Amino acid sequence: MTVSANDLALALKTQALASARRLGGEGDALAALEATRFPERKTERWKYTSVQALADGHLNAVAAGDLRQPLPALSESVVTINNGELVTSSLPDGVTLHHNAPAVAGLETPFAVYNSAVARAVVLEVAANTRIEQPIHVQIQAASDAPAHCNPRVIVKLNNGAEATVIEHYHGEGQALTNAVTALITADNAHLTHYRLQGEAASTLHIGTLIIDQQGISQVDSYQLMTGNRLRRNDVHALVGKSGAELTMKGIFVVRDKSHVDNQLCVEHRVPDCQSDQNFKGLAGENGKAVFNGRIHIHEGAKGTNAELSNKNLLLNVGAEINTKPELEIYNDDVKCAHGTTVGQLDATQQFYLQSRGIPAAEAKRMLSLGFVNELLMALPHETVAEWARPWLEAELTHARPAGEGAA
Amino acid sequence: MLEIRDLHATVADKPILKGLNLTVNPGEVHAIMGPNGSGKSTLANVLAGRDNYEITGGEALFEGKSLADMEPEERAQAGLFLAFQYPVEIPGVSNMEFLKAALESVRGAQGKEEWDSVTLLRQARAACKQVNLDASFLKRGVNEGFSGGEKKRNEIMQMLLMEPKLALLDETDSGLDIDALQVVAKGVNSLRSPERGIVLVTHYQRLLDYIVPDFVHVLSNGQIIKSGGKELALELEQKGYGWLTGEEESA
Repeated sequence: MTVSANDLALALKTQALASARRLGGEGDALAALEATRFPERKTERWKYTSVQALADGHLNAVAAGDLRQPLPALSESVVTINNGELVTSSLPDGVTLHHNAPAVAGLETPFAVYNSAVARAVVLEVAANTRIEQPIHVQIQAASDAPAHCNPRVIVKLNNGAEATVIEHYHGEGQALTNAVTALITADNAHLTHYRLQGEAASTLHIGTLIIDQQGISQVDSYQLMTGNRLRRNDVHALVGKSGAELTMKGIFVVRDKSHVDNQLCVEHRVPDCQSDQNFKGLAGENGKAVFNGRIHIHEGAKGTNAELSNKNLLLNVGAEINTKPELEIYNDDVKCAHGTTVGQLDATQQFYLQSRGIPAAEAKRMLSLGFVNELLMALPHETVAEWARPWLEAELTHARPAGEGAA
Repeated sequence: MLEIRDLHATVADKPILKGLNLTVNPGEVHAIMGPNGSGKSTLANVLAGRDNYEITGGEALFEGKSLADMEPEERAQAGLFLAFQYPVEIPGVSNMEFLKAALESVRGAQGKEEWDSVTLLRQARAACKQVNLDASFLKRGVNEGFSGGEKKRNEIMQMLLMEPKLALLDETDSGLDIDALQVVAKGVNSLRSPERGIVLVTHYQRLLDYIVPDFVHVLSNGQIIKSGGKELALELEQKGYGWLTGEEESA
């Protein structure tokens, strides 16, 4: 069933509102949902991503399936959220889990607004001047055989001088839509290492917003690894909000078969003398489609800003598609801002060199693809994540699935 | 072992080889010389199976099998090795990972025993030592940031490990200083054996002071126009190529 984008936008809003009322949404959050518009045909921010898959009615039902292959624990500290509900948590001293959620700034998509209206946030708060050694593995899982959705909402709050590592790890099965909001809030002298691992099944959908709200002079290092699925949309909005704050984001996205990833990043520099550095690499094979829109917004008065953005992409074959665009909005002279985006293909000379040493063509392709993203894999600071990421990525690049068995 | 009969080949549709004949038997070292643009490198690349280098007539048989029917990796698995004139840089793929994949494939195809990682590392270190390449190069990206001489020594290092039946060296001497040249020559000479054929493609006689060939062939305009023993190289050194090709050599 195909419906027109504008009819679908209306239908999605009706569904979201009905669902929000069922789930007890009220007050300002519900009012905000009433005022929002779902993506229409000409909505610029959704130009490359159709939400047509949602015509299946994901928003009409809440996912309640059992997980067949839940995630393994990557740490002793684990928080598990299944189908949007907190299931278990095991946290070290210095980290408190509660539901007294602060308001989240910077949310933009109608899906995030809907999440705000219905989600019960899981807040992980790290006490001031506390260093948490073990990474906190936040497992956000969803399963549903029929189209259905869930609304996980995780807020990580680092108080003054806190230091922690959070692994935000998604897993999805069947036809689940994960409609997620995650916010990272850091106070002065906080240091957060953040992973966002997204390897949900190809048949699932994910629409997520990540907010990085650096309220204090803090350092956030975020590593984002993702494969495509039926629909993956990631809005990342970073607010570098206090002079002296530093942000790095590194990421890899891989789309194979008919899978899809749309990354919309925006880093906002509102105050002087902050640094941000973004380095993302994308790979697309078969009819995979990826979008990368990287916006750097330097406000008037944010002098001394140093912002960099790089997005290099590799197309593995004809038919794959990557649309990449840096967007700079700079209202200030005294800034350093470098950006570069490229889309290329596997180098035939490199491929021949490997083959001339007896390495079969498919293996040569895999080695070159892995080589393309290797610098970012090597940069992952936690061995436990790297050990998970390398085989995961290799499997994605080996792409053992037989031809024709594409994403549903 | 290598039988080339009336070989015609094009590079990006342009005819370069125009009826080339050459026979290499096990144990022989052949030098192919000739002016720039005569087709020397084309011959090496055609035999290795590079894209856009196409056989359009005649045949090239390696141990009785037509190379034209084989993928580049199948040629390598069968025992053919090309040392590149311009070795390729592959950032992100370590030399060691590369050697492991290459040796697994080639040794597997040839029924040789598989090397475990300890053996592989030991053999690779020994090969590095033989060509004066620090073992730290094994950890670096393939040829990434290597100097010209280091790249050429890396080629010979790979060749030593792969133990090919037929080694083709495409202008391996170009860009090498005299010390590096001797190192490379020593590496190649160590591979000389009654079972192995070696073909040296070179513009200059210099390399042949160190690797003495059994046969020297002069290639001009896509054909071998003269063959002889090692003394032919010396004659070319004195007279240039003009007396054979009928042209003044400009290079």
